[in-house]
Amino acid sequence: MKTILIVEDDNTICDELSALLRNAGYAPLVLSSFKHAKEEILSSSPNLILLDINIPYLNGELLLKELRQTCDIPVIMVTSRNTAVDEVLSMSYGADDYITKPYHPTILLLRIAAVLKRYEQRSDIVTYHDISILPQKGILKKEDTELLLTKNEMIIFMYLLQNQNRIVSRDELMTDLWNNHEYINDNALTVNISRLRGKLKEIGCADAIETRKGLGYFLL
Amino acid sequence: MKFRTYLLDKLYAILLFFFVHFVLLLMLLAFKSDPALIYASTLLLYIAFLLALLIDFFRRKWFYDEMLRSLSQLDQKYLLVEMLKNPSFYDGQLLYQVLCDTNKSMTENVRNYEYSINDFKEYVEMWIHEVKIPISSLLLMVHNHPNQFDAKVIHQIKRVDNYMEQILYYVRSENAEKDYHISKVSLNTVVGAVALNNKDDLLENNIALHVTGTDTTVLTDSKWLTFILNQIFNNSIKYKKERDAAIFISTEETEKTILLSISDNGIGIPSADLPKVFQKSFTGYNGRIKSKSTGMGLYIAKNLCEKLGHHIEAQSEEGLYTDIRITFLKNDFYEVLK
Repeated sequence: MKTILIVEDDNTICDELSALLRNAGYAPLVLSSFKHAKEEILSSSPNLILLDINIPYLNGELLLKELRQTCDIPVIMVTSRNTAVDEVLSMSYGADDYITKPYHPTILLLRIAAVLKRYEQRSDIVTYHDISILPQKGILKKEDTELLLTKNEMIIFMYLLQNQNRIVSRDELMTDLWNNHEYINDNALTVNISRLRGKLKEIGCADAIETRKGLGYFLL
Repeated sequence: MKFRTYLLDKLYAILLFFFVHFVLLLMLLAFKSDPALIYASTLLLYIAFLLALLIDFFRRKWFYDEMLRSLSQLDQKYLLVEMLKNPSFYDGQLLYQVLCDTNKSMTENVRNYEYSINDFKEYVEMWIHEVKIPISSLLLMVHNHPNQFDAKVIHQIKRVDNYMEQILYYVRSENAEKDYHISKVSLNTVVGAVALNNKDDLLENNIALHVTGTDTTVLTDSKWLTFILNQIFNNSIKYKKERDAAIFISTEETEKTILLSISDNGIGIPSADLPKVFQKSFTGYNGRIKSKSTGMGLYIAKNLCEKLGHHIEAQSEEGLYTDIRITFLKNDFYEVLK
């Protein structure tokens, strides 16, 4: 499980953010002492840091600058200051992404996933059971049979696959689709999922996508 | 400065001179003075008086003509004092001193207002950033506890956030110099961010979104453009038609410009209101029937567009469509630099 360190001085946000990350299958950590922030970060060595700019002692930008001298843990700046100066400064100090409050929780999760994925540098070929997937070409391959997925179906399938260990809500799928510039509506999502199910059935994976009523979908 | 008017102004002196001269003449005649003495003294007196008048006139003329010329040439009339030289005649010096003093006091007064406005703006900006923290908490809470909170809460939080953004950008548009950063911005990214931001509203209201031709870049500030498009989206959502509502985003490219069009098939704008939609606090007919309008969104959008050097215009037909078009200039210089 990936650990994510939250550096944030507002307690309510810390609590809610921890809950959000836990539900999304990450292990959240909260920085307890801002005075020794750098030491604590280095000793806990998280997979990713969510860093606020307005924090006590050293501000977020300076902390980031200090951190970058010794380690390259991915950092997403999360802040309510949205001036161009802050963003340029953060990025030049080596932040991987910059999100302004108030953010939509699912969008935050997408950005976290994107940064983590970039760091893992996974190969192009992904597998699901005995099916190999070529996301760029939109192809599912099982032995000799090849199956062509549309762009939307591929986005949905990849998202389910990346979050295989938990229930994925329709809102998350929708956000991911819109994030990939596919502005579809609710009905179209339903149609796409049922088509995807049909195609998976052709390749021998009937009932791979389970519907959890009122919650979302689950990839077996 | 006209000589005739000057003479009229000095009429009392001239009359007095003539009167004194007349009395003097009578006295000289009464004492049976030599006619040559009378002629000579008369001539001398006239020359002296005329000379005094002329010298006095030209000293003033040089000063006041210079002042009037400076005044007509100056863009900021209040800077006049900086252009004047201290004159050589006494009343002019007094006037100059008075002008300097009033000018100084005025500058101080204006400076005071400037300080207090800037203080206020800084406070507003800081305050907005503070308010965003509880708004984020609320969004996270609603998301984490779907059973306790209705999704409608999110909608209301979004509204609060939008009004927050409006005032933030309003404050910023006034002293825009300090906060923008022109770069090559992908329209796809900006439109994507705006779409994602309004996703819930669009889906809930069954508004279809059609995006074409945004695979291009424009020179702009991405945050500001995002805000501008967000305002336009908000309007399209607010003034949608009841069934089959849709928003169409498209681009047109010419040799020198890129035009981004955001059109909807909503209730449109009455033709009488159309020229005024970018005015401050203008709500118009639509604003009154919906009664949720502040009339600030498009005004701020236009303000920001002007600062960024984009052109924004609205086309509409009542009951049919509204089309907001933003024109970006392509910059050859930028291409050469690259």
